[in-house]
Amino acid sequence: MQFEDNYSSHISQQFNDELEQIRTQLLTMGGIVERQVHDAVESLLTGDTELAEQSRRVDKQTNDMELMIDEQCTMIIARRQPAASDLRLIISVSKAVSDLERMGDEASRICRHAIELADAGDSQRGYQEVRHIGNLVRAMVKDVLTAFARNDTELAYRVAKKDKEVDQEYRSAMRSLVTYMMEDPRAISSVLNVTWVLRSLERIGDHARNMAEHLIYLVSGTDVRHSSLKQIKQAVQADSDS
Amino acid sequence: MTSEAKTHAIDISAMQRENRTLNLEDETTALEVKNLKLYYGDNEALHGIDMMIPKNRVTAFIGPSGCGKSTLLRCFNRMNDLVDSCRIDGQILLDDANIYDRSVDVAELRRRVGMVFQKPNPFPKSIYENVAYGLRIQGVTKKRVIDETVEWALRSAALWDEVKDRLHESALGMSGGQQQRLVIARTIAVKPEVLLLDEPASALDPISTLKIEELIHELKNDFTIVIVTHNMQQAARVSDYTAFMYMGDLIEFGVTDTLFTNPSKKQTEDYITGRYG
Repeated sequence: MQFEDNYSSHISQQFNDELEQIRTQLLTMGGIVERQVHDAVESLLTGDTELAEQSRRVDKQTNDMELMIDEQCTMIIARRQPAASDLRLIISVSKAVSDLERMGDEASRICRHAIELADAGDSQRGYQEVRHIGNLVRAMVKDVLTAFARNDTELAYRVAKKDKEVDQEYRSAMRSLVTYMMEDPRAISSVLNVTWVLRSLERIGDHARNMAEHLIYLVSGTDVRHSSLKQIKQAVQADSDS
Repeated sequence: MTSEAKTHAIDISAMQRENRTLNLEDETTALEVKNLKLYYGDNEALHGIDMMIPKNRVTAFIGPSGCGKSTLLRCFNRMNDLVDSCRIDGQILLDDANIYDRSVDVAELRRRVGMVFQKPNPFPKSIYENVAYGLRIQGVTKKRVIDETVEWALRSAALWDEVKDRLHESALGMSGGQQQRLVIARTIAVKPEVLLLDEPASALDPISTLKIEELIHELKNDFTIVIVTHNMQQAARVSDYTAFMYMGDLIEFGVTDTLFTNPSKKQTEDYITGRYG
């Protein structure tokens, strides 16, 4: 409710600009990471090592943006002593930025495995699972960024919910991969690479969920980390009711 | 060895208790305000305020100029009696007795509820005599008692070490920050129950301001403190509870930490984030 108004209503225009800027920068960084995750999965599925190399180079940008946005946050705290929703914005952005940076790292890791797999020749075992979980996780990343752009806690809740689905799919995919390895021990080294990829995707899903929780804190003021889905839903509803 | 010791268990619930012990419902009441309305002539300046001031805590009043926070503060020791056109409805209870009752001795009330103003107002007397003044008015004559109380008050006001060698010099020769601490020492020398501070640091430099804030923190063990301040960060730093007032209404009153991170009213949010205009 308090969030219908944007960050443009402070008496200090400069403060408006600073808050708007860290939000914009967070979303820009989110866009880069979303692209990284997309390219990582694509490079693996298509065996495009060129794309994988290129995506890994992009990770440097993500790291630089993390440092830059965090510095902005520190500067605003030092100069403006933000309170209430402004303070929660800074805290949430600062935390969301570390999650994004970690997502970028995981994407880079996937690219590294994509290169190894491509170099080893394609057995393509487990690729179906990667495609499926990759789609789920990419949707989560996209949705959590949209949620941040619109301060949409309902959407953030759906992201948290989807993380559960990803975790289940991850466990079942792992079982299939173990079966592949038992059936054909010569494939172990390539299938192991695929398990690491799935692990990274699952971690990206976790970070997207973390970001969703930061957004719910930003909008509602309730810290929903380490809470059950039910508790998150209650917090989101309590906020939209008030 | 207990199992707890073996696992190096940290009692997190105890840490949480330490971090946030505050809850208005657990507090003892020092002052209770009941449906207080105040009029300046025909103009209603306070529209029926209901609240309690918790004992041995620091309660801060914040709000834009003219919102009624100083007016309310002045009600607590009947300073508004001095304004001719001022009329009051409702009650303020100190120890369950209405301070606006006819039988109340206003001088005695003001001893129990002391007040410090924005500008330090030491008397043109020595440092010692400033602090001893209230005691002499009360008829205390024993030099030993007065000496002890003066030293206690100056120590409590964190001023003793700076002035102990010049107690008999004029108070007017002190710096602004020292004068304000002297006025606080003078106020607490008569052992009031409640200390009202009306913008106590707004005329002081940043270092003196910090000393006053540190002093407030020390004094809350012995006194109930109510502070009016324009400086929101100061309210956030020194107070346990904060009340936000706007246009003569009490909009929100609660634990300071909550009010400054997650206020429940939009008006409070707009004010503390600098969106009023």
